[in-house]
Amino acid sequence: MARWVSRVDAMFHLSEREWAERLDVLARFCAEVSIDPDRMIAQARSDRDVKNELMRRLRRFAADLHGSGSRPAHDAENVVRSFFIHNGARVFVRPYEYA
Amino acid sequence: MATVEQARTLVGADFYRVCGLRRSIRWYKTWKPVEREKVQRILEVVRVATSSPGNIQPWKAIVVEPARIPRAKRERLLYADNLQGGHVTAPLWIYWFGDTTCIGPEVFKARLREMIAAGAAPTAHGWSEEAMEAMIDRGEEAPAGLPGLNEIAHQMRPEFPAQAAYSETVGAADIATLAAVNEGLGTSLCMIATPSKVGIVIEELGVPPTWIPVWLQLVGYPAEDVEAGGQRPRLPFDEIFFEGDATTPFQRDPSVVRELEQSRLLSPPAPTADRFEELKRLAQMFGYPV
Repeated sequence: MARWVSRVDAMFHLSEREWAERLDVLARFCAEVSIDPDRMIAQARSDRDVKNELMRRLRRFAADLHGSGSRPAHDAENVVRSFFIHNGARVFVRPYEYA
Repeated sequence: MATVEQARTLVGADFYRVCGLRRSIRWYKTWKPVEREKVQRILEVVRVATSSPGNIQPWKAIVVEPARIPRAKRERLLYADNLQGGHVTAPLWIYWFGDTTCIGPEVFKARLREMIAAGAAPTAHGWSEEAMEAMIDRGEEAPAGLPGLNEIAHQMRPEFPAQAAYSETVGAADIATLAAVNEGLGTSLCMIATPSKVGIVIEELGVPPTWIPVWLQLVGYPAEDVEAGGQRPRLPFDEIFFEGDATTPFQRDPSVVRELEQSRLLSPPAPTADRFEELKRLAQMFGYPV
């Protein structure tokens, strides 16, 4: 978690409100998959199948939250993708138009 | 309907500015097509400005407008390149290939005949049809003043045609990037495909087996600032340029550097103060993670 926050803020200097929103999304997703953030990253980095399954669950989670295919759903997914990327777990990214 | 811009005459300052602005643009206005006239002008520049030994011209280009091809084909071409962000958003793709059939004795002779007839390979230097045939057909030693074509034609390693076609086409693609910048466009060169997926591109574009994939050139109107965050890091001048031998650095005149700063060949290095704010806006605009 600390690595994510420090790396993102080193470049983008997000506001408190932006962080509150992102942390809320991440917390909700972690609750959904019943794994804490640090363990989630550890598993994603060590097991590609686990990572891919997490991404599939992320898509379903975001769709349930905001509606399948919606921009808010895509943005919610991107919060968790950002968490993965900045912690060294490579994930698939696409712009919204092509998602 | 896109309008044709008035032809422009380049002057020195424009050339330096174009060179100074050459960046790998990775964020494009996907929604804004590139005018066909601009694409043609890019190709025309490559055709006349790119040099190659013996004028062999091995470069081939396939222009693809992703908005105008079937979605499945577009997806496969993107998949082959691992869906790199710039590729996904660029409205125009130019696939550069090196044609290995342009490398060989008969092609050498055909191009050289043209060069001799054009006065580009001067007889004063010893060029003639007879000299060319002696070297290329019969492997006779090149006389002083002429390149060792006898060795190139008769001792050609099997990998030479691919190497030569590839390396010469790299030059063409680089010229194409400058031509694109000169048109007010953004551009970058990236891998045509992940090596294991090159076959997808070959199949989708109907590429002959004799063409070597070189670069995919992305072209479009930049969604990011044309400075794209500033000039990229470059190795120190005196570590790459030498005079007389490989150990004596070329002396860099500060007054020339100042002129080039004024001509905007040289500009503030990346990252500029607002670059990461710009990247955040771009990511949010397109829907990429921040």
